[in-house]
Amino acid sequence: MVSELPWNSKTGTLKRELAEGMMDPSSRQALEAAVRLAGSAGSDGVTITALSMGPPMAEEVLYQALSLGADRGVLLTDRRMAGADTYLTSFVLAAYIRKYAPDTDLVLCGSQTSDSETAQVGPQLACELDIPAIGWASDIRLSGRTVTVCRHVDDFMETLEMDLPGLITVDQGAFSPAYATLGGVQEAFDTTDAVRILDAAALGLDDGFNALKDSPTRIIDVYSPTTEKENRILKGAAKTVVDQLFKDYGKVISSAMGKDLKTK
Amino acid sequence: MDFNPCYKHQLIRKTVREFAEAQIKPHVADLDKEGRFPEEIVRKMGPLNYFGLQVPKSLGGAGLDSISYAIAIEELSRVSASLGLCVTVHNSVGIYPIMAFGTQAQIERFVPDMAAGRHIGAFCLTEANAGSDAGGVETTARKTDAGYVINGTKIFVTNGGVCDIVLVFAVDEGDKGPANVYILEKTRPGFSVGEIEDLCGMRANPVSSLFFEECEIPETNRLGKPGQGLKIGLTALDTGRIGIAAQALGIAQAAFEDALSYAKERQQFNTPIARFQTIQNYLADMATSIDASRLLLYRAAAAKDGGGPFSAEASMAKLHCAATARTVTDLAVQIHGGYGYSKEYDVERYFRDAKVTQIYEGTSEIQKMVIARHLLTRPS
Repeated sequence: MVSELPWNSKTGTLKRELAEGMMDPSSRQALEAAVRLAGSAGSDGVTITALSMGPPMAEEVLYQALSLGADRGVLLTDRRMAGADTYLTSFVLAAYIRKYAPDTDLVLCGSQTSDSETAQVGPQLACELDIPAIGWASDIRLSGRTVTVCRHVDDFMETLEMDLPGLITVDQGAFSPAYATLGGVQEAFDTTDAVRILDAAALGLDDGFNALKDSPTRIIDVYSPTTEKENRILKGAAKTVVDQLFKDYGKVISSAMGKDLKTK
Repeated sequence: MDFNPCYKHQLIRKTVREFAEAQIKPHVADLDKEGRFPEEIVRKMGPLNYFGLQVPKSLGGAGLDSISYAIAIEELSRVSASLGLCVTVHNSVGIYPIMAFGTQAQIERFVPDMAAGRHIGAFCLTEANAGSDAGGVETTARKTDAGYVINGTKIFVTNGGVCDIVLVFAVDEGDKGPANVYILEKTRPGFSVGEIEDLCGMRANPVSSLFFEECEIPETNRLGKPGQGLKIGLTALDTGRIGIAAQALGIAQAAFEDALSYAKERQQFNTPIARFQTIQNYLADMATSIDASRLLLYRAAAAKDGGGPFSAEASMAKLHCAATARTVTDLAVQIHGGYGYSKEYDVERYFRDAKVTQIYEGTSEIQKMVIARHLLTRPS
């Protein structure tokens, strides 16, 4: 939970060094989705690259990604990337993809990190790359250059199609990850140069780039949300339903519209 | 000299810990109570390479170095000493002697099934009249035209109740000398398993007696050159000691973690007991012993990987890790007070599990003999 993590109120950033270096559970699910897709029919020759922006110690997480089935890892790390908000994180990730992996077919992201829980990086990265995106996928199937994605939206199951290249974020309840084999861990370290480390200059970011300074987001406070969404079905004659709707939600609707809906 | 673990060793630790905490931990107390070997968990561990930790990839193993091996056993034993025992005995004295002394044909015949966890290995030396003194072994091998006939009874065999492949230490019939090690499959007629022992600790491991009655095996089941038994036995035990040291360390680590968190929570005289200097002294002693044990263990493992002699290092590690497990689990119970003596808390199990680490794979007294022998024969 984000609210349980130590917070530096001066800089408005998380003291992440206090959280144990680990792969975010959500990213691990995205990796699991990638591994399953790569293993499915018609996916021969697929290469999975695990991409992370983080402190130097995040290199270990990329080895973990290799042990779980990624073919190679890339760590984007630089003092000047520290303190990036979600906007600049997406910007840096996009800079790598544009420069080093322009032929990427599919970008898979976790839906949201367990520390910040914004769910912004995935969709913003799609905007940066100018490719379509689908959030919260619970099932992904690949057929030629088209992906078919299922996702839960409120109480419904939606099926969507998207042409590649594209980006998908993976629902937290789906693609529960497999355990790494110990041989897989060993293999991750047997391959030389499987993890590549790049700094801001290598990405072509200009000399003045400073994520902490450039991030437009200023975090004022962090707390757990208390509101919840619900679906309600109103039944009965039209008049009864409308009356009920205005009775229960009139205030919300009028404040959203900025108009008083009270009928005389 | 670098005392920081490398990424690989960190990742091995995290990988084993994640599996052990999720898949083993919820069942540990019940398995201990029921004295049941968890075959369903073992089936999950097979494909993850736990039964072929140092076996090369080409034979279906993980191909790990000895420090990774020690870490894996430490982390398994931190959650379940009984399963840690099963895995270390299988790997170190079941598979390793075949890898080190077996012919290529023997390795290809026995190791892949063992590395996959389909066949569980055991090693039997101990008998009613032979424990620390291997010279007292009375199990015999009689040479026939086709191979050998084994007769005898082995006791306190770890994994005995579930083993598929047993390495049997036996002397030639008649002249009672020299000893050999034979590979015996459980399917051989004349092989049978005794009652599961009712032991103080390690209750989820099916430790039992094994009986060999006119048990015929082919010539190709003898391990090593004729008369090489004692050498194979001693080499297996050196390797085994690294595993048992790691197991003892895992038990100590678990007990320490529980004691530390309990000391911070438990209130007496309106303050957490961790505020008392007496408890702080206990915790400081526990942590220091554990760190010293860990360094001795990793040094022994590194010495083994270095290819040089590691017998004295392995004995020092085993001696110290086992003593640490004893004192740390004792203090952990003490810190828990009456609750520590109850089965409601895990420290009671750690306390029972720890003791045997000073007894099996060479008692602490034997470790001191081994260490002293090295001191006295080393050129000064």
